[in-house]
Amino acid sequence: MQSVGVEAGKMNGQQMDALLRRFERPLLQYATRILGDHDRARDVVQETFVKLQNEKRQQLDDAPAKWLFTVCRNGALNICRKEKRMTYLDQELLETRESEQPAPYEKLEAKEASGFLLKILGTLPPRQQEVLQLKFQNDLSYQEISEITQLSVSNVGVMIHNALKTLRQRYGQASRDFLPFTPRTVS
Amino acid sequence: MKVNLDDPNLMAFALGELPADDHAKMAEAVADSPEAQSYVAETQQFARLLRAEYEADRQQQPAPRSPIVARMEEERRTSWLYQWGSLAAALAIFAVIAAIAFTTIQRESGTLSKRVADSPRTKAPAEATPEPSVEMEIAQQPVTTPQATTAPSTVNEFREEKSQVNRDVAEAGKYGGLALNPSAPPPPMPMKRAYTSGGGETTESEPPSRYRQDFNTATYDKVEENPFLPAATNPLSTFSIDVDTASYANVRRFINSGSLPPKDAVRVEEMINYFTYDYREPEGDKPFSIDLDATACPWDPSHRLLRIGLKGREVTNEKRPASNLVFLLDVSGSMMPAERLPLVKQAMRLLVDKLTEKDRVAIVIYAGGSGLALKSTSGNEKEKILRALEELQAGGSTNGAEGIELAYKVAADNFIKGGVNRVILATDGDFNIGVTNQGDLIRLIEAKAKSGVFLSVLGVGTDNLKDSTMQKLADKGNGNYAYLDSVDEARKVLVQQINGTLMTIAKDVKIQVEFNPARVASYRLIGYEKRLLRKEDFNNDKVDAGEIGAGHTVTALYEVVPAGAGAIDPAASVPPVDPLKYGTNRTETTNGSAEMVTVKLRHKKPDGDVSELTERSFTDNGSKFENAAPDLKFAAAVAEFGMLLRDSQFKGKGSFGAVIEWAQEGKGRDAAGYRAGFIEMARKAQSLKPREG
Repeated sequence: MQSVGVEAGKMNGQQMDALLRRFERPLLQYATRILGDHDRARDVVQETFVKLQNEKRQQLDDAPAKWLFTVCRNGALNICRKEKRMTYLDQELLETRESEQPAPYEKLEAKEASGFLLKILGTLPPRQQEVLQLKFQNDLSYQEISEITQLSVSNVGVMIHNALKTLRQRYGQASRDFLPFTPRTVS
Repeated sequence: MKVNLDDPNLMAFALGELPADDHAKMAEAVADSPEAQSYVAETQQFARLLRAEYEADRQQQPAPRSPIVARMEEERRTSWLYQWGSLAAALAIFAVIAAIAFTTIQRESGTLSKRVADSPRTKAPAEATPEPSVEMEIAQQPVTTPQATTAPSTVNEFREEKSQVNRDVAEAGKYGGLALNPSAPPPPMPMKRAYTSGGGETTESEPPSRYRQDFNTATYDKVEENPFLPAATNPLSTFSIDVDTASYANVRRFINSGSLPPKDAVRVEEMINYFTYDYREPEGDKPFSIDLDATACPWDPSHRLLRIGLKGREVTNEKRPASNLVFLLDVSGSMMPAERLPLVKQAMRLLVDKLTEKDRVAIVIYAGGSGLALKSTSGNEKEKILRALEELQAGGSTNGAEGIELAYKVAADNFIKGGVNRVILATDGDFNIGVTNQGDLIRLIEAKAKSGVFLSVLGVGTDNLKDSTMQKLADKGNGNYAYLDSVDEARKVLVQQINGTLMTIAKDVKIQVEFNPARVASYRLIGYEKRLLRKEDFNNDKVDAGEIGAGHTVTALYEVVPAGAGAIDPAASVPPVDPLKYGTNRTETTNGSAEMVTVKLRHKKPDGDVSELTERSFTDNGSKFENAAPDLKFAAAVAEFGMLLRDSQFKGKGSFGAVIEWAQEGKGRDAAGYRAGFIEMARKAQSLKPREG
């Protein structure tokens, strides 16, 4: 079933290319959030792709994203543990804060993708950013996210719910107040 | 079934995440609720927007191919044997590079080989053939070797030797009695402020090394602690005063959240200076007094602890001259969390409350752009100022430079001659648009500081606090830097110490201490690593230094090895220096003075350009630590606490337990409760430190 010379059951070059193109940057962002350090994140992502090369295809065919993010996450957390950094979990405890009262849901103007939303996304607690990235950037299901992050499916649901709620609220507010930015003078 | 809009299952439904039967049930319920329908529609619309943003971001900057991945691809295309052979070859090459790297870079193990392969310097384009790229990596390797970085220090040693030979008569020292060559020209005096201590043993050409710590992106400049210096060859120790307190509040924030701070977030002098001490009041119309004291060094009783205390003249609130304040507030997206913009607003409200009709306030905000949110307004129109504050919201990215320009312009337009003219910058320091280069920002501030407008920097936020940027901005902007971790801290900085924060009574305050080699074998300045000046800088009025505010106290501690005791203690011993071949023997110290030190101080009036000199000598009476004044005990406790947190090689026999004990003995009246807060924090740190139990 495979072309000559490629060991049976493993990725071929084209498949590898496609996965690299699709996931290298998302994985880098993902690992950087956990490690807080771009260089180490590169190391982890590279290692992930090296492992990918030796992985049996059957393990990947249905869910390469899940596989990649799981391996990348574990690699990053191992570095955290090895270097005794403040772990990702500690960080969550520090930063998780109840979001403000639910605001009325305003109609959102469909704005052009401007990076503004992602900037606001950066103000969410890191674990919320993580699940949003997995869900909306990488189209993973609640079930898959649960397997990657070791959270229960309902926990993932609650987190995405809260994260999206806060994000919409802040985005709505920020859009009203600062896009476009106009100098305001109280006379 | 009634639909609850705050039910996570409703969102799961909107995103198509519910299992089939739950989905059907929810669909029924939603059909009955117009609210739920619009919620679902909006959620889906928002999800599309979010996906589009992620996708745009992903495509915008394709990740640069790392050499290893590029090589893997290349080999896969060209060889059908790639599978094991090439990988093994690649690993072998990396093993070789790793071995080379390991002997040269003294960094953490584990990820070395890949860091070498993948460091930004050596980023190879995807098309690069494997062989040249490996060669290039090896060729570039020496860039990071220690040998490369030792070159500047060799240059420095040479310069130091030269400057010793050519030593200026004015700096000859009163204890030395040395033969000098007065006709020799003085050494060239670079205008750039160099971070070298009396001996000039540190390098000035190296940029400060910055690195990231822990999970967050907060940045702290690396601090190399001052070493012990022999008094015979380095009798002069010169530094700029520092009234910043930010490090203390930042350290407290780490400890309260259950972790010890990164080493370089601990600046010992800022911790000591967080507290006010009961120094003697200035005499006559002097702007400050000098208060000297010494006791046995508690973490090494064979050493002495010398304390230099300055106390700025108190000014009552009624006597504070009219103030022209410009609040420059960062309202970028990162300022949204409660402990950022909302805290800043609270802090500003506290400050506005203290102002009177003679004062003026303007508010400049900056995010993606910058704007005047409030024109300069009299201090008795509090309602109006508070309303403008209230309306501020965070969002957008940060263009610090533009805001700085505008704020200084507003301050200049409303300049009050003889009054307080000050820009108060509140930010998390994440300047990411416009002038983002730290050096350019600092030059901008430096230029603005010449206009006579002073700067206060209030740092907020946790995970991306740009501590080092803000410290430098305050330093160059004739200002002070405080970190606000709570409303209480805001109250301390902006209410209790409002006059010290707002009103500068002396600027460019420099201290030069001359140690008497007959009494002192060696000495070490505790902290102030970022404030060191060269000995020539002391008399050079063009060299910038720190400011002192009304009522401020500034404290500096030296650990002193008395003459005759130095050789015993290896920690305080100084590597021997060969006697000079051409100069006179500098170790002869045949003066009969009993004095330990002479402290010289230069300052300028807030609006002056010419410095005045104050001088005071001190003789150590050899008192024991038990009998030391409470203030000195307390300062010693804070210093040792800082050194323990830094795991300093100079921490001596101290422990968190001892720190708590000394602090309790030195607690004094502590009306405001700050010292009690320190003791509490030390206890918490003790419980966090496993090896201390």
